[in-house]
Amino acid sequence: MRTFCFHESSCVRVVLSAAAAIMQIGILIFVPDAALAHGERNQEPFLRMRTAHFYDVKWSTNETPVNGEIVVTGKFRLFPIWPVNLPLPEAAFLGNGTPGPVLARTESYINGVPAIQSTKLELNRDYEFKTVLKGRVPGHHHVHPMINVMGAGPLLGPGNWLTVTGNESDFKLSIKTLSGETIDNLETWGLGRVFFWHGLWVAIAIVWLVWWLRRPLLLPRFRALTEKGGDRSQLVTSTDRLFGAGLLVATILIVFFGFQATDTAYPRTVPLQGSRATVEPLPEVPEQVKVAVNKSNYDVPGRSLRMNVTLTNNGSSSAQLGELLTSNQRFINHEVSQAMATVDPNYPKELLPPNGLKVSDSRPLKPGETKTVDIEAADAAWETERLSSLINDPDNTLGGLLFFYDEHGKRTISNVSGPMVPVFTDPDNRTAENPTGGAG
Amino acid sequence: MSITITHSAKSAAEDRTQPLGNFKLAAGVTLAVLALMVFWRIFQQVYAWSAGLDSTEPAFDAAWMTLLKVELSVIPLLWVVTWAYLWFTRDRNLGALKPREELRRYFNLVLFNFVYAFCVWFATSFFAEQDASWHQVVVRDTSFTPSHIVLFYGTMPLYVLFGVGSFLYAMTRLPKFATQISIPFVLAVVGPFLILPNLGYNEWGHAFFLMEEVFSYPLHWGFVVMGWSVLALGGLLIQIAMHMLEVIGRLSQEDQASVATQR
Amino acid sequence: MQGGTSVRLYGLEWPKESARISRVFDLLVAAILFLAVSGAFHLHYMLTAGDWDMWIDWKDRQWWVTLTPIMAITFPAALQYVFWTKFRLPIAATFAVVCLLFGQWINRYFGFHLWSYFPMSEVIPALLIPGALVLDVALLLTGNFLFTAMSGAFAFALLFYPTNWFWLAPYRLPVEVMGQLVSVGDYISYAFTRTALPEYIRLIERGTLRTFGGHSAIIASFFSAFVSILMYLAWWHIGMLLARVVTTPNALKHFMGLTDKDEPAEAAQKAIDGTSLQGRSVAAE
Repeated sequence: MRTFCFHESSCVRVVLSAAAAIMQIGILIFVPDAALAHGERNQEPFLRMRTAHFYDVKWSTNETPVNGEIVVTGKFRLFPIWPVNLPLPEAAFLGNGTPGPVLARTESYINGVPAIQSTKLELNRDYEFKTVLKGRVPGHHHVHPMINVMGAGPLLGPGNWLTVTGNESDFKLSIKTLSGETIDNLETWGLGRVFFWHGLWVAIAIVWLVWWLRRPLLLPRFRALTEKGGDRSQLVTSTDRLFGAGLLVATILIVFFGFQATDTAYPRTVPLQGSRATVEPLPEVPEQVKVAVNKSNYDVPGRSLRMNVTLTNNGSSSAQLGELLTSNQRFINHEVSQAMATVDPNYPKELLPPNGLKVSDSRPLKPGETKTVDIEAADAAWETERLSSLINDPDNTLGGLLFFYDEHGKRTISNVSGPMVPVFTDPDNRTAENPTGGAG
Repeated sequence: MSITITHSAKSAAEDRTQPLGNFKLAAGVTLAVLALMVFWRIFQQVYAWSAGLDSTEPAFDAAWMTLLKVELSVIPLLWVVTWAYLWFTRDRNLGALKPREELRRYFNLVLFNFVYAFCVWFATSFFAEQDASWHQVVVRDTSFTPSHIVLFYGTMPLYVLFGVGSFLYAMTRLPKFATQISIPFVLAVVGPFLILPNLGYNEWGHAFFLMEEVFSYPLHWGFVVMGWSVLALGGLLIQIAMHMLEVIGRLSQEDQASVATQR
Repeated sequence: MQGGTSVRLYGLEWPKESARISRVFDLLVAAILFLAVSGAFHLHYMLTAGDWDMWIDWKDRQWWVTLTPIMAITFPAALQYVFWTKFRLPIAATFAVVCLLFGQWINRYFGFHLWSYFPMSEVIPALLIPGALVLDVALLLTGNFLFTAMSGAFAFALLFYPTNWFWLAPYRLPVEVMGQLVSVGDYISYAFTRTALPEYIRLIERGTLRTFGGHSAIIASFFSAFVSILMYLAWWHIGMLLARVVTTPNALKHFMGLTDKDEPAEAAQKAIDGTSLQGRSVAAE
């Protein structure tokens, strides 16, 4: 396991006994698995809020032995109000946001199309993905589904903690080639040949170097070249030339026959495959509820996003606002049971703000009805996930998805986006550190 | 402060018992540098995974920012102390320098350059390429990521210590380097040093328009050009070779004269 | 010189002690050069052709084959100038690529494998030694940088692909993954994922007009060989430039407390300009 045990008493002992600077570092040895992400919080909020929105993400299990499988499935939508400074997803790749290759990816699909190659994706369309991961390095790993977009970089889905147990040395990734070879483990495949050829050429190079280095080297040679009386013929003798010529011939012969022998040993090879996959998006579903943002504020002391929106139900069934999804945070309206039912027990708790989504009027929106409501998403996540830094960004337009449910539990999705205005002060003296206000 | 090196009145014969250069000190410093490099690498192995994946975490702050602060305070302090020592203990009577002592100082200079090259290798080879692997582990991070904190703010300031130190050693203790500034020596020291300011260009590019970590991007070529200046060590080698041959020549003349006198 | 107290090296008398001193100097400088060349060449190489060198799924028949020799012939050429013209040593290219390979293997194991969990099969460096040997021998036999460029630099690039095919071929065997045809190398890098180098970012052969019977590696090798000749010529002269002994008067001299009497003896000073060792004339290049 690559994580560390937590023993409070040991921790205290270490803290007390170590010098001040060392203490600070020493503590870490006893820190349990802190919720360490891997860099995603440094992505600017507009990038996280207005690019790829992942939803319905499920992990088949949170724990697997080495060589065991974890299947990650879900969907993502590429947000239509795409940041202007990012290139469009002309080339995208279904990535795997892991802390290094701690899990091996054996399969991946976008809408059923193998995702071993990159593909073009479309904005405002939905895609279904599936990734099969195989446990490799034991430990407790934070893993995200991810879309890499050329020029925009990695766009992360929700991260979950996956545990791999067992021994790393047991890991194997086998495959049979189309030319008939059985590869026992891709981690070590071909290495014998690599070591032999690299070793052989290094040995030959060393012979060549030692041939020259064994003689008096720098000052005597320099002096012989620059001073009268120096015998240049001794610097490079005819034996040297003969040896060099022999080496030249041997080198060319080894390369030539080595190449021939390799070609004979591996007659059927293919170049690296660089084509692009073609992936059709999921069928377009008309947006049932039109969302117009009248006003949106981020309340800095209260750590909450407040929006005043006008909702228009253009569909034939009712619609009840159940969830706001932005930057992988799922603010769920606790008053809507259909929305609550969508929460998978394996879903990471840190991505489900406990207060959820407060809606001033949660009653279903009837077909054809238009209603203006206030919605509020309040949670410390705005600070801990560094989403509130939107107020420091050159682009402060926020974005997210609103999920609506009809009486039968059928879901429709609407995009929500609008400029965000921060509120820095309030009459209750609340602060970001003390969101409830009052003394202390 | 004024510390002056004086030349002992030892005879040539006595001088011969002295070692050729301060090999013990060089070996000690090399081992100390090696120990530091090993420490950095172990620190990375342990804390990069447990505390280095997310720079917004308190654990990151405790381990990595602490290391960064220590590096950025201790190494510049070493600069000041070492360079000041070399400056203030300079030889103020270079005209009276005996050939054997001069030769010994040339060996010290070569040893100084050895330690410099030792640090340069760890920075520009060992920790530099390792950075490419770490960028494939984190999704995206700040300038202060475990590989950068060791590479840019640890190993590079450390080689600057020895690069400038060796230059100052030559300038303050060897007559030919004291009277004439060696341009290849300047290049071999200043070029690698400029990799540090070039970091500004690198981070500027990564902050504003390069989201993926391709090592061969032109954004990184500033480092490359600065690295070429290490080739100027060739010019320095030629210069030292010329100087040493001249000193060896004087030394053998002096020895011959000494033998003739004894007869 | 007294008999028995001196040795004759390359036609010149050396006091035995001086010969011993020069051997110590040899060893120290060899160590310095090994470290410095390994560091500087590796930095140059990793930041100009490193992505192809680092990853098994970047080693394509077009860009890898084209760029690697062009970027790798630089330091060998510059060092050949110094090693050959100043010391008559035809080992610079071999020395440089061995230094490079040393840094790479150390790194791939300690950095990529032990630290970042990439399997060794994903991160094997390219082999440049045969081409470097031929480059060195070309200089040894021709003694001329122009002929070396025309023959050795050309061969340096031409030999690159066949040299590496020895070990690379097993990674180009075809496999079927999810109903797709890919090479073993493609699959290795797909399986052991990189977060910041997705598939699309690989600069690899994506398909061309087929000439030379469809062997794109041969076309790439010939083009690379042509540019390598030019690079060799350019870098030979960069080596010449950086190996020049140029000095400028120390403006701080008086500030340092030095006076004119501290000037080195005239004979000694002349050595800088290429004169006088034991009274004999020196023709420094």
